[in-house]
Amino acid sequence: MQQILYLMWKEFKQVFRTREMLSIIFVAPMIQMLVLGFAISTEVKNVSLIITDFDRSSTSREILRAFEHTDRFRIVGYESSYRGIDNAIHRWHAQMAIVIPPNFGRDLQRGLQPEVLLIVDGLDGNTAGVALGYATGILRQFGQMVLRQRMLARPDAAIPVHQVVAEDRMWYNLDLQPEQYMIPGIVVLLITIISMLLSAMSMVREKEIGTMEQLMVTPLKRYQIILGKILPFLILAFVELGIVLVVAQFIFSIRIVGSYALLAGLAFLYLFATLGLGIFISTITQTQQQAMFVSWFFLIFMILMSGFFIPIENMPPLLQKITYINPMRYFMYIMREIFQKGSTFPFLLKDLVPMTVFGLLIFTFSVLKFQKRLA
Amino acid sequence: MYAIKVRQFRKRYGDLEAVRGIQFEVEPGELFGIIGPDGAGKTTLLRALCTLLLPDDGEILINGLNTRHHVADIRQIIGYMPQRFSLYQDLTVEQNLNFFADLFQVPEDERRARLEQLYRFSRLGPFKKRAAGALSGGMKQKLALSCALIHTPDILILDEPTFGVDPVSRQEFWDILRDIQRQGTTIVVSTAYMEEADLCDRVMLFHQGRILALDQPSALKAQYRFPLYRIEADHLPEMQTYFAGLSGVRFIQRFGDSLHVSFTREPGDDLWQTARDQGLQRFERIAPSIEDIFMDLTTREEHESVEH
Repeated sequence: MQQILYLMWKEFKQVFRTREMLSIIFVAPMIQMLVLGFAISTEVKNVSLIITDFDRSSTSREILRAFEHTDRFRIVGYESSYRGIDNAIHRWHAQMAIVIPPNFGRDLQRGLQPEVLLIVDGLDGNTAGVALGYATGILRQFGQMVLRQRMLARPDAAIPVHQVVAEDRMWYNLDLQPEQYMIPGIVVLLITIISMLLSAMSMVREKEIGTMEQLMVTPLKRYQIILGKILPFLILAFVELGIVLVVAQFIFSIRIVGSYALLAGLAFLYLFATLGLGIFISTITQTQQQAMFVSWFFLIFMILMSGFFIPIENMPPLLQKITYINPMRYFMYIMREIFQKGSTFPFLLKDLVPMTVFGLLIFTFSVLKFQKRLA
Repeated sequence: MYAIKVRQFRKRYGDLEAVRGIQFEVEPGELFGIIGPDGAGKTTLLRALCTLLLPDDGEILINGLNTRHHVADIRQIIGYMPQRFSLYQDLTVEQNLNFFADLFQVPEDERRARLEQLYRFSRLGPFKKRAAGALSGGMKQKLALSCALIHTPDILILDEPTFGVDPVSRQEFWDILRDIQRQGTTIVVSTAYMEEADLCDRVMLFHQGRILALDQPSALKAQYRFPLYRIEADHLPEMQTYFAGLSGVRFIQRFGDSLHVSFTREPGDDLWQTARDQGLQRFERIAPSIEDIFMDLTTREEHESVEH
């Protein structure tokens, strides 16, 4: 036991002696969190909009006012021809144009169904889709308003419309704030990186500079060497978790709804998988550079297959199945559940169990692969 | 009881047989040298002595304990200094020593005296607070040696400890080894520097995983009965070609600005006369060095393997 403490003590001394290591551990995550937290956003704001109003009636002005009064759109100009629209979009001046046809107001009053044309730059498909959604939303509201007015004006007339109106209500993330969704994911990324990459690097470094050979001839047992090497990174991962939670709370004002203790407990289970992978990587590589490459290979795979960026439901069925072997997938889900819904233990079991099983399997396999002899 | 007993030890890596069934013993308190060029299998052998490698065949006993079964006990009684400098460069001299003292669980009261002693003989005392990475090559080796000695092992195993170290530091290092030996420690040291063989009590000449000879250096030299000459000439390469063409030449080796040539029988005057015509300047009969003997044995071995 004491010898494990000596090893850990040495590890910490080394970590705190190297400034690069300190910045990897403490500064880099802050920056990553800030950059990723602010930059990764599925929200679309300030879509530059061109207006072409051939109608110039009070009705068309009313529609345009609705577009002016939202921060989703920013009106960047008025054009009187299609050629002008074409030009503006081509020159990246505008992303979207709305064209109100002549006699739009009059047709509407007559009960015809005049159409409004929306032209969107489809180059950035995601933004285009979202912007289109906003625009149709505004137009739909406008349509309903007109309808209501007409019903009030002529209560006797039989209006052959039975509308089903969908009311949106977002639970757990009321404003659809992207940070609410992204920050827990970023927390998962950061503690994965620190536990997996740093533990692998630290073990391979001992191999690279030859000290592993020296450690091996000491009477230390295999489990003592492994524990002495990975416990420091387990502790660092928790410190990191603390730091990022504080940042999440004070900079992004995201309060975690669920229990901190539960979060910490489940993080502990998750770290078996990442530390196990760290050990595994150190057994199949000889230099820190190789360890870095292999770690990133695993990391990219884990991140892409975790539902961090790409919702798993959107993946082809085969890839969806592959995500089941990814421990990060489960922890990503658990983290978001605890953060936003405040889910409790029983609700998390279906992700918790496979995560723990995979974690322990990876860990056991790696520990067995780590030999105290050279060959 | 022998300090080390090796019986039919064999180790292979894939197709390559690194050590081919060798057998030898090391006496307690002996300074035992393993001499051989790079690739001879020295590191494999030493790692096996330290329980880092298991024999494919045969067995190794350290103080009577089998490396196969008594790993922890053996590691407590040996000190090992690997070939590459392998200490924590970012920790100080003192931190490195304390770290290994901790791992070997050297008791606090013993530790102070031991550190004092190690600082004294290694003269590293004034550099206690310096990072190991900032030490000179010779000092690094002395620190590595100190770390290997921290738990006062019975047997010290050193893998090319003087490799790449300047001649003055090498001499100093060997003086230290002698001091350690005087305190009763058995030392096994490998080296590719043939001249260091003379500093050992007994040497094992090791080549391609096989033992060529094993004896005291003086005895090895005394046993060498073939005439050996040191030759100077205008053009050494031509001279070398000339001798290579003669029968009865055991080996020719270049030593700086001269050749060492060994003959099966004492050469006659006519040979020297012809050689003079070829540009021979001077020749003198010399006593063999360990390197000459090594050369002779390896040349012989190559001939035999060609004949097979």
